[in-house]
Amino acid sequence: MDGSRAIRDHNQVKYLPLLWAGLWRKPVRTVLTLLSIVVAFVLFGILAGIDAGFDQTLKASRLDRLFTDSRFGAPMQFSYAAQIARVPGVALVAPRRGLGGYYRDPKDGMGVICIDERFFALRPEITITPAQLAALRHTRTGAVIGLYLHNKYGWKVGDRIPLTTQTLRVDGSKVWTFDIVGIVDDANYPGQAGWFLGNYEYLDEASASDKGSTDRFLVRIKDPQRAVQIGRQIDRLFANSAAPTRTTSEQSQAQSGLQYIGDMNLFIHAVVGAVFFMLLFVTGNTMLQSARERVGEFAVLKTLGFTDNTVVALVIAEAVLLCLVAALLGLLTAKLAIPLTRPLIEDFVSLLQTNWSDALRGFALALIVAILSSLYPAWRMRQLSIVSALARR
Amino acid sequence: MNTLRHILAVTSISLRAIPQRLGPSLVVVVGMACVVAVTISILSMSSGFMRTMRSTGRADRAIVLSRNAQDEGASTITRDNVPVIADAPGIRTAEDGKPIVSADSLAYVAVTKKANGLDAYLDVRGMGPGGFALHPELRLINGRMFRPATHELIVGRSAQRLFAGLEVGDKVPLSDGDWTVTGTFESGGGALESTILVDAETLLSGLRANSFKSMTVMLRDPALFDRFKSALTSNPTLAVDVLRENDYLAVQARDLNRFLKIVASLIGGVMGLGALFGALNTLYSAVSTRATEIATLRVFGFGAGAILTSILAEALLLSLLGALIGATAAWLAFNGDLHTAGSLVFRLSVTPALAGAGIGFACALGLLGGLLPALRAARLPVAVALRDG
Repeated sequence: MDGSRAIRDHNQVKYLPLLWAGLWRKPVRTVLTLLSIVVAFVLFGILAGIDAGFDQTLKASRLDRLFTDSRFGAPMQFSYAAQIARVPGVALVAPRRGLGGYYRDPKDGMGVICIDERFFALRPEITITPAQLAALRHTRTGAVIGLYLHNKYGWKVGDRIPLTTQTLRVDGSKVWTFDIVGIVDDANYPGQAGWFLGNYEYLDEASASDKGSTDRFLVRIKDPQRAVQIGRQIDRLFANSAAPTRTTSEQSQAQSGLQYIGDMNLFIHAVVGAVFFMLLFVTGNTMLQSARERVGEFAVLKTLGFTDNTVVALVIAEAVLLCLVAALLGLLTAKLAIPLTRPLIEDFVSLLQTNWSDALRGFALALIVAILSSLYPAWRMRQLSIVSALARR
Repeated sequence: MNTLRHILAVTSISLRAIPQRLGPSLVVVVGMACVVAVTISILSMSSGFMRTMRSTGRADRAIVLSRNAQDEGASTITRDNVPVIADAPGIRTAEDGKPIVSADSLAYVAVTKKANGLDAYLDVRGMGPGGFALHPELRLINGRMFRPATHELIVGRSAQRLFAGLEVGDKVPLSDGDWTVTGTFESGGGALESTILVDAETLLSGLRANSFKSMTVMLRDPALFDRFKSALTSNPTLAVDVLRENDYLAVQARDLNRFLKIVASLIGGVMGLGALFGALNTLYSAVSTRATEIATLRVFGFGAGAILTSILAEALLLSLLGALIGATAAWLAFNGDLHTAGSLVFRLSVTPALAGAGIGFACALGLLGGLLPALRAARLPVAVALRDG
């Protein structure tokens, strides 16, 4: 039967042993090539993870959530909240005030966000139960913490956590104590939430200065399309006050914030480019060598009635098989390795995510590399003339 | 002597045959070039960043923060503290007899990046009257100084280049209305060039605040630091930390620098592994295609050591070539490029040390990749190789 028809007849499975035998003709070379490709895909997996982390940060940030911050760093009055709420199009306003300090080691900074219950309406991604919320409201010094802190420090409900801060209390101390009343998670970053949320009332009543001040208002708007106009309207309210504001959507803040670690994205893409350029050479060279060594064998196949196209398909399929197996191994390794690298870059944890759509992109890339690198050897085998190839033996 | 001659002879034979094995040899060259180019590019961020930080700090300057404040943002220096700190021993005095110190206030302003229209927050530093004596590296390159008690400011060269709306004459909306840009300054490539400078008191009154963030002093001699520090820390009316400016900046730079180093070693390491497999592959195939030739040389009396060395030399040379190409590519593509992390602007810098490290890494990989094939070549059983060839 015509070889190429066989492929069309979905009988190509029978060619697998032939492909396999071809690959393992020189085991050392195949293993080394395989390892090079695996390594490239481990790297691809990790970089795609960083890329996905960037995307996740943008996706998790909502267009209908605005942040009203102090334009120049002067503290804003708590009473701004009521004024912002009256701006047409604003659905909800939540004030917050941060308390910065550290737990035990001054180098291990920790921030508490002091809020009231409106905060949770604005951040529905925080999984707080009504019971936890009630506990937080009834305990003046109460706090809920994210799963990440729970895992990192082993803090449990009922623990009292003293934080040393720069904020002076009325009693002259700078140590603030919080009672953990609940452990919450963040739906956008399961298991990675570092939230430490306390009561605004506690902070405001016990702090010696800056009474009634806030450092940010979270604003939910009804129509995301109007984010810019509503932001401007809010800022106009306070333009001539002691603390002018600057309102931006969460998404535009996330975009700017990602720049903080530099234009890493550009680098990531450059690295992926370099890696696959390198990969083309490695695989291409292996395929060429292997085809060259088997000139005689391919001539025999042609003698047996394999058409030119089948021979081409065989050479390409061999590369595809090699690359897909390697890509699978590499992506799996990356998937397993990413959680291991998390402790190294603790501060950037949320910037490393894994998802399976990247795996698909990886396999597509493997296919492209395989085809590109085997085109030339395949063409050479197609041109092969049986007589001269066999004569050379 | 004889061995050396043998080594040279065999090495030159294998090197001259490289053009016949161009494809496999290119694998090593391209592989090493990619590894070196990528690793150096990432590290050039770190070295450029550190260079900016280093040219910002001086050994004879010390910064005073409130106790346990990790950075200026979290620190408070009250008005009462200022004369106490300025009176401490070890501080250099200006010609008019006043100590060279500056109590600084800080604010920030949202600006737009010219390149992509994204927001960034630029530091606005309010300097005391002694600020310019304290920072002799500051030099006005355009326009004139700000005048205290008016809404005027000067802009760092890097900030002006990267962010929109900061030309001389432009109005910048800061606290209490618009402030006018009156000049541009440079500071020898330091981090101040990514900031806006204003008068400290004018900024404080604009913010309706009354305390400073930090105080920086110039010491008569770097060696006087300990005396200065102990005088302040033992003073019961103060609760402050005293740091050498260089140490303070190094701590501030630590996180980003560490992140970049981790990324570079992670990516460089993984890519290096890939290149290593490529080199192994190439050299194994070189050894196997040259089996007859190598066996023949052995018959002529060339030692196993000479054969081994020649293979290693080939690996080394190919890696070196690749590394040079990679380093040059990184240098051409990135050296001197402006880069921002937040609002801090710095130039990527491909230093000779960095290039050297990259090249060394590639050579080590090459040697490692050459070792196993070289051992195989040296151990090749002569009779078998001659018969099979």
